[in-house]
Amino acid sequence: MKKRSITSEKRDNILGWLFCSPYLIFSLVFFLIPLCWAFWLSAMDWNLMSPDKSFVGFNNFRQLFGDAKVKAAFVNSFRYLVPIMLLCFLGGLVIALLVTQLPEKLKGITAVLFFIPYLTSGVATSVVVKYLFTYNSVLNVFLRDHFDLNISWFKNGKIAFWVITVLVVWKMSGYYALFILSAIEGVSEDVKEAARLDGSVGLHYLWHVTIPMIMPALTTVLVLASGLAFGIYTEPYLLTGGGPQLATTTWQLEIYYTSFTRFQSGYGAAMAIANAVQIFVVLRILNFVMDHFNRKFGW
Amino acid sequence: MKKKVKIQIISGILILIMLAVSLFPFYYMVVQSLQPWKQVDKSIIPRGITLRSYEYLLNNGGSGNTFMWIRALANSLLVSLPTAIISSLSGLLIGYAMVKIRKFRGQKFIMNTLLFQMFFPGIILLVPKFMITKSLANTYAGMILPMAISTWAIFMYINYFRTLPDAVFEAAKIDGAGPLRIIQKIAFPSTKSVTVIVFLSIFMQRWSELMWDMLISPDISMQTLNVLISNQFKPMGNYPGPMYAASVILTMPIIVLFLIFSRYFKEGISFMLK
Repeated sequence: MKKRSITSEKRDNILGWLFCSPYLIFSLVFFLIPLCWAFWLSAMDWNLMSPDKSFVGFNNFRQLFGDAKVKAAFVNSFRYLVPIMLLCFLGGLVIALLVTQLPEKLKGITAVLFFIPYLTSGVATSVVVKYLFTYNSVLNVFLRDHFDLNISWFKNGKIAFWVITVLVVWKMSGYYALFILSAIEGVSEDVKEAARLDGSVGLHYLWHVTIPMIMPALTTVLVLASGLAFGIYTEPYLLTGGGPQLATTTWQLEIYYTSFTRFQSGYGAAMAIANAVQIFVVLRILNFVMDHFNRKFGW
Repeated sequence: MKKKVKIQIISGILILIMLAVSLFPFYYMVVQSLQPWKQVDKSIIPRGITLRSYEYLLNNGGSGNTFMWIRALANSLLVSLPTAIISSLSGLLIGYAMVKIRKFRGQKFIMNTLLFQMFFPGIILLVPKFMITKSLANTYAGMILPMAISTWAIFMYINYFRTLPDAVFEAAKIDGAGPLRIIQKIAFPSTKSVTVIVFLSIFMQRWSELMWDMLISPDISMQTLNVLISNQFKPMGNYPGPMYAASVILTMPIIVLFLIFSRYFKEGISFMLK
């Protein structure tokens, strides 16, 4: 008996490592080595190709503070974060709540239809939006003829910013609605029955039963949406190139331009690290606030 | 009861309005891809239907790189399919190892590595990853390997296997089934809904990837459809018709795939919440 357990233990060891080996190799080559390399690179002045690189210590990081592009990326990530987080959250919640009112048969298919924008490549939607907003497009001709409005959508920083924000919210709301919907459907019959007996209906039911019961899903959605706001790339790359005057630029865009079109790869690495620190701090704060709320209201 | 019907009708109307907003870009895209070229972007209702834009893609308007659009579609498939297969399979195996092999030396260490990796935004790794993969530029391997394993997929399987009772696996073991047989006959079939979601999500993400593919495959014959559209599409220069047609081709396969498998979603979503 004892002998058998030893061999099975050995077998488990071998199997475990065997099954995990693809991941371990992958994470060594495409995660750990690049990660160390990134930190080393951030202390270098190097143009990605030439054999000469020079060690500059913390200079790259010092340079970040005076860089208008870095400042724009930093500020814009908050400008994107707040509306995207709130609107995705609201959009997801509203869609989910409306869908729960539907007859059982229609729920599934409706939720899936709202989910379609999420599946679309940002490239395809950018093509549509860019053409739809060109000077002679049906939309702009209509606005000029009927409202005497002449909007240059991508020349005005504020408008361009909101076009991109709305595009991201449009894309993600249906996806987040699925999470919330799945949580609402998961509320147990006992809870619903108890609420019914207590005479809780309508808005009272929504505020005191549904929302507290789906709080974990809502928290997940908020965290996912905030993470999303830091990863915007495709839409500004294709629609505005970050402009006008850096009004729509993002970290991803600036890091890409710095590393691969201006060939300042060391400086690009330093930017990426600064970005990571910002994401980390923001997510920590968000988690802390959500925890605090959850406890305070007993959710 | 009457009040309930009223609420249902109002929500029904609101949903129709929101669905119209949410699906309008697809309608517009399809309509413009079928419009006669003089009418493209001039009206939101079709003023005649022609396949000219799609025919243009077949031979690139007869100029230059004749088959570049077809080649790009093939490239997208040849990159996204293997990535989705490798991610799902490796996720399944690792998820199984982390949960159902109850203990092996180093299990904790691997779990910590996974959690540690989840922590870092991918953008930090961009330049060094590019340096490591540079020798594979303009190859399928260069596009597939750096994204072949997804920690998200691994955690989906870990969450799933945690909900499966151990008893089934123990019973199979006692009956003398080997580990590969257990995975093939018990673990894999039971993960259907998770596997469908993981496979489709990874496929979709890979299909829509832009930054990495732009960097690693600048060669026009090796560009994915996603990259080719974004390189070819200039608001003033090119014909818009074919761009819409290419966008339709880029979008539709994913939507059709997801609609076919949509019944697995409800079940699968619950594992994303953990």
